[in-house]
Amino acid sequence: MIQRVFRGVSWSILAIVFACTLFAEGFTHYPYARQFRELPNAAPSTIHLLGTDDLGRDLFARVVYGTRVSLLLAPAAALLATAIAAVLGGLAGLRGGRLESLILACADLLMSLPLLFVLIALRAFLPLGISPLLSVVATFVTLGLLGWPSSLRVVCAASRNLRQSDHMLLARATGYSNTQLLFRQVIPNLRPIFLAQFWISIPLFILTEATLSMLGLGVMEPLPSWGNLLRGCEDFGAMSANPWRLVPLLLLVITVICFQLILHSSEEPA
Amino acid sequence: MFTWIVKLGRKFAMLGVLALLGALLCATMIRFAPGYGADERELDSRLSQESRDAIRSEYGATETLPHYYRRYVSGLLRGNLGTSVFLQRPVAQLLWERAPLTARTVGFGLLAAWIGSSILGLLAIRFPNAMLNYSAMALTGFLIALPAAVIALLFVFWRAPVFLGIALVTFPKLYRYQHNLLTQAQSQPFAFAARTRGVSENRILFRHVIPLVWAPVLALVGVSSSMAFGAAIPLEALSDSPGMGQLAWQAALNRDLPLLTSITLCVTVLTVGVNFLADAIGQRKSS
Repeated sequence: MIQRVFRGVSWSILAIVFACTLFAEGFTHYPYARQFRELPNAAPSTIHLLGTDDLGRDLFARVVYGTRVSLLLAPAAALLATAIAAVLGGLAGLRGGRLESLILACADLLMSLPLLFVLIALRAFLPLGISPLLSVVATFVTLGLLGWPSSLRVVCAASRNLRQSDHMLLARATGYSNTQLLFRQVIPNLRPIFLAQFWISIPLFILTEATLSMLGLGVMEPLPSWGNLLRGCEDFGAMSANPWRLVPLLLLVITVICFQLILHSSEEPA
Repeated sequence: MFTWIVKLGRKFAMLGVLALLGALLCATMIRFAPGYGADERELDSRLSQESRDAIRSEYGATETLPHYYRRYVSGLLRGNLGTSVFLQRPVAQLLWERAPLTARTVGFGLLAAWIGSSILGLLAIRFPNAMLNYSAMALTGFLIALPAAVIALLFVFWRAPVFLGIALVTFPKLYRYQHNLLTQAQSQPFAFAARTRGVSENRILFRHVIPLVWAPVLALVGVSSSMAFGAAIPLEALSDSPGMGQLAWQAALNRDLPLLTSITLCVTVLTVGVNFLADAIGQRKSS
């Protein structure tokens, strides 16, 4: 019962946050980069709901647009990671043998790498002076390309079980090729697993982006994201004087906890 | 025993091959990165063409690719990891200076996380209580939802030691994994049978449940070391702790690829080695 309540509340909060990101223009009429030079570090008011930052930019607008960047691109990265896991894991489980051992060995190797070290090494490979939009794409594509191994192990195990099933035997007997088996039989049958892995990856990518951006290696200014909005937390004096600047952190924590609660309640037996 | 030693030998031979492949990958990244071989001194209009050529050959910009790989790998084998572009010092020397601090921080952090998660996990299993269970879930859920960089900032604010930050990042994941394993093992039919025969809960836990989960928990040592090294970057960078994590961050900000790839290679070889060792010991225990 409690699980169901938690789940309902989590879905509602996520729906509200996602709606804010999709219709950001309806919630704020200020662009995220517009500067009010006469009003730096302003306190919350009816004009600027969360005040302004040290460059005079409206903090509420930056939080709304930053939420859009973090919340729309983390699912995109999760989709990429899940797609890679689906194809490679499905193929490994379907074919078995040396191909399966090779793919699993690669996944194990990637899983044992310290993700943040590899991410910043790959990020540093790109020129530093790239445009903010390109920095967003680079950050989330890198996350997607490195985030598939744990999903792959689950997909591979499920696909291996499917290999022995009657309908696969029938499909083979009717002359399906391996590619047809993969895309017409394995992938459609494993859809619930892909969905679970997709949901698991989203909070992970949100948190990794936040850490990368806080270190100055993720989404570049002036484009906001939860991570680079949190860079302001480094100034403890300003934070204690303006506690409303912790709103991005609060939003991030609440969103990640909502994802966790949804996942946890879906794992519980009915 | 002999078979196990052969398996362990194979794993470490594989580690050697992986290290070589990793080194070649690092070399390729440095060689093909935008700006390779370019030096701002070349912009000096007072320099003659010979001087510019000398600067370019100093960076190896004119050599062929196979020659470049041979030079890079032979340098690595001799312990020469190149020179940091940003700090203008040998990379090996920088790593040698910074590695002990990171090893200490990561080691103590992991120890604290393992002790904390094991005690809490055992308490939650031995004394099943909805309040304790929900409190532990809420605490770990909240800690998982905090980015490592925010934990680092809190530690700077509290002036707390960095190793506790690493412990705080790894603890919730370790607790949840251990708790799941223990819960699954405790709901097995053998535990139920032991309970019906009047065996005490302590005996079931320590004589039957823990030996069953020993191998998968040991395999987690490798994964947790990789998590701890990952957490060391934001924690050391934001707490101004002069370890390898801070060095990697500075190298990334200054686009010092020779330094960054060498650090990544060293940490990767270390974490993959720990993973292999933990797997091998886990297999030995379970066989």
